[in-house]
Amino acid sequence: MGQPGLNRRQLLTALGGLTVAGSLGFAALGTGADALASDARTRVRYWNLFSGGDGVNMIDMLDAFRAANPGVDVKDSTLRWGNPYYTKLAMAASGNRAPELAVLHLGRLAGFAPERQLDPFDTDLLAEYGVREQDFNPTLWQRSLIDGQLYALPLDIHPQLNFYRKDICAQAGLIGDDGNLITLTSPDDWFDALKEAKKVVKKGLQTIGLHAFDQNFAWWFFMSFYAQAGGTYYDEHLTDVTFDTGKATEILEFLRRHITDGYNIAGSPDAEHFMNGGAFVWEGGWSVPVYDAPKIPYGATPLPPLFGKPATQAESHAFVLPHQSDRGGAANEAAHRLAAYIVRHAVDWAKGGHIPAYTPTLTDPAYRKLTPQSEYASAMDHMALEPPAWFAGSSGTLAQRIGPVVVAANLGSTTPDAAARRMRQVLTQLLETSNPMGGGTA
Amino acid sequence: MTTIDTTAPVVRPAATVGVTGVRARLGRSLQRGGWFVAPFLLLYALFVLTPIARGLWLSLTDANITGEGTSFVGLDNYTEALGDPLVWSSLGHSAYFTLLVVPCITVLAFLLAMLAHHIQHAKWLWRLCFFAPFLLPSTVVGNMWRWMFNPDTGLMDHVFHLESAWLTQKSTAMTAVVIATLWWTVGFSFLLYLAALQNIPPHLYEAAALDGANAWHRALHITLPMLRNVTGLVVALQILASLQVFDQVVVMYEFGPGPEESTRTLVQYTLEQGFTSYRVGYASAISILFFLIIAAVAVGRMWLLRKREEAVR
Repeated sequence: MGQPGLNRRQLLTALGGLTVAGSLGFAALGTGADALASDARTRVRYWNLFSGGDGVNMIDMLDAFRAANPGVDVKDSTLRWGNPYYTKLAMAASGNRAPELAVLHLGRLAGFAPERQLDPFDTDLLAEYGVREQDFNPTLWQRSLIDGQLYALPLDIHPQLNFYRKDICAQAGLIGDDGNLITLTSPDDWFDALKEAKKVVKKGLQTIGLHAFDQNFAWWFFMSFYAQAGGTYYDEHLTDVTFDTGKATEILEFLRRHITDGYNIAGSPDAEHFMNGGAFVWEGGWSVPVYDAPKIPYGATPLPPLFGKPATQAESHAFVLPHQSDRGGAANEAAHRLAAYIVRHAVDWAKGGHIPAYTPTLTDPAYRKLTPQSEYASAMDHMALEPPAWFAGSSGTLAQRIGPVVVAANLGSTTPDAAARRMRQVLTQLLETSNPMGGGTA
Repeated sequence: MTTIDTTAPVVRPAATVGVTGVRARLGRSLQRGGWFVAPFLLLYALFVLTPIARGLWLSLTDANITGEGTSFVGLDNYTEALGDPLVWSSLGHSAYFTLLVVPCITVLAFLLAMLAHHIQHAKWLWRLCFFAPFLLPSTVVGNMWRWMFNPDTGLMDHVFHLESAWLTQKSTAMTAVVIATLWWTVGFSFLLYLAALQNIPPHLYEAAALDGANAWHRALHITLPMLRNVTGLVVALQILASLQVFDQVVVMYEFGPGPEESTRTLVQYTLEQGFTSYRVGYASAISILFFLIIAAVAVGRMWLLRKREEAVR
């Protein structure tokens, strides 16, 4: 047993020594590698949450930036979308381990504390890099301001859309002379159209997919039509609940009718049904690449304006500067430069289905050639938005609480008017909860 | 089979002894193995006691996730929690899950153990089959069952023709989780039962057979009473584990609250408050309340068992 000259104690000592030396060695190696990679160039750490097709497009844009700006070393990290991302961003910013640049859903801005978690953009610096206020939709720009300072730089909006099959809709007589879907302006119009479409859709397929079980989609579609009907959630100062249960009931009844009248088979895989020959599907703009792949003839419009004025739910990806106590200098300038560059070169980004926030892009011939993107670009002017409260935003507390209520109404386990009253309760309860990041209620 | 004693060795309070006495006593106990316990105590203090103490403190504040701008709010969080309908409904879901799982798992584990104990051929295969699922991580189990319950492509629909949307309606939502959990964790209780069965002295059965007891009588009057202790253990462990149910539920419902919010458990609600709403103080208060409930269940079970042991004597 054992080798001569090596007893247990010696072996343990040696192993312990190795471990310590090893960890020190790797630590040294780590910093060394970092220093080598960074060289004397300015380093910009950039956190985003883009995976899939968006991730590929973003990396292409970053590579283009790198080629044009050899003096800037962009270290990008892609993190998992959703709550884990926001938790990490919030903690890093307050722990002063924040990156120079990050991406945020604009609806989440109110939940992040200015000064302590985010730093404002230097608008003069942005103008130097070619990005100015007049290049943006005013509503979008206003949403990015806190106390008059620009805390977010919008990159895109991603609206909810009405995808339609041109071949199926043509058979049902729903395609106009311009080759696009005819305009439908009331619930009756809409259900008449569905009735015609159902006649030509193959048996076993649903006429329309609307993610009836998904709490996020259910909430987004509700928001869209509720905004069309002129509904609001809170007053301007976020002190009173102004939710109109009458209007809400009407919208919930409308959504439910798709299922009771047999146009939607709740729980079906909506995308598959559409690709196999369903007439319509309601989806976010990000589904464009999904439907481009199988080369089906389709178009996409904002959700049809059936209850009055046009409105369709939209969220927005925006750049933010996470708080750094020593923000400034070359790294900060490079972060501005990178954000401005990507915002201005967003034609590639639009391939992912997003509408570029930088309006000059919308008139760019390269963008106008993109279909169906150019067909729904008007969604930018009719955004249905969540209230600017701390609990709002993509996958935030509001969607988490109110979405299931809409789903219950969709499925018929709650009556529309009971669901509308429950939604009002949720809105009231959330308004009474004080903002955990400080700054009073909501 | 005896219950496992998890309490740490307690140092006797030394109020009546002088400081030198304490020192002497401490020195003696260190000589008697205190140093061997020290690493454990250190880790225990670091990873159990400190977080509990810190959680208790946080529950009395309005702390957010960044830890900045925290102020003391007294019992406000507790008052809010006791009046929060979502606390009660999610506690209800956890309790409902426990109520479904514990009896099922106990009976099923017992039956499987009897089966594996009495079958003479390929014993190892039976044991392996019943125990193997327990080795899977919860995420694997959750995803697997989510697919099986898929209304279009799932096994439940295709093979068993149970053509209902299991995961999308309130009436079956929790049952689906219970089925997945049974399949996943029954192996552990099965092993406990199997070990207990093998510990029953064979001479008891021989004597009963000589007295003319048939198989049914032997099972009823020898096997079941001899398994009483292990049943107590299985039930207690399952209650404690089931109340804390979290991972398989959130995986099966993709971190959502389930159809009509019917599967949100209390652990999940705590997570939502802490990591979606960033209300760490409030989330701490909920977990302290939950801790008290679970501790009460554990103590209650010990108290019940003590009475029964006295009755046996």
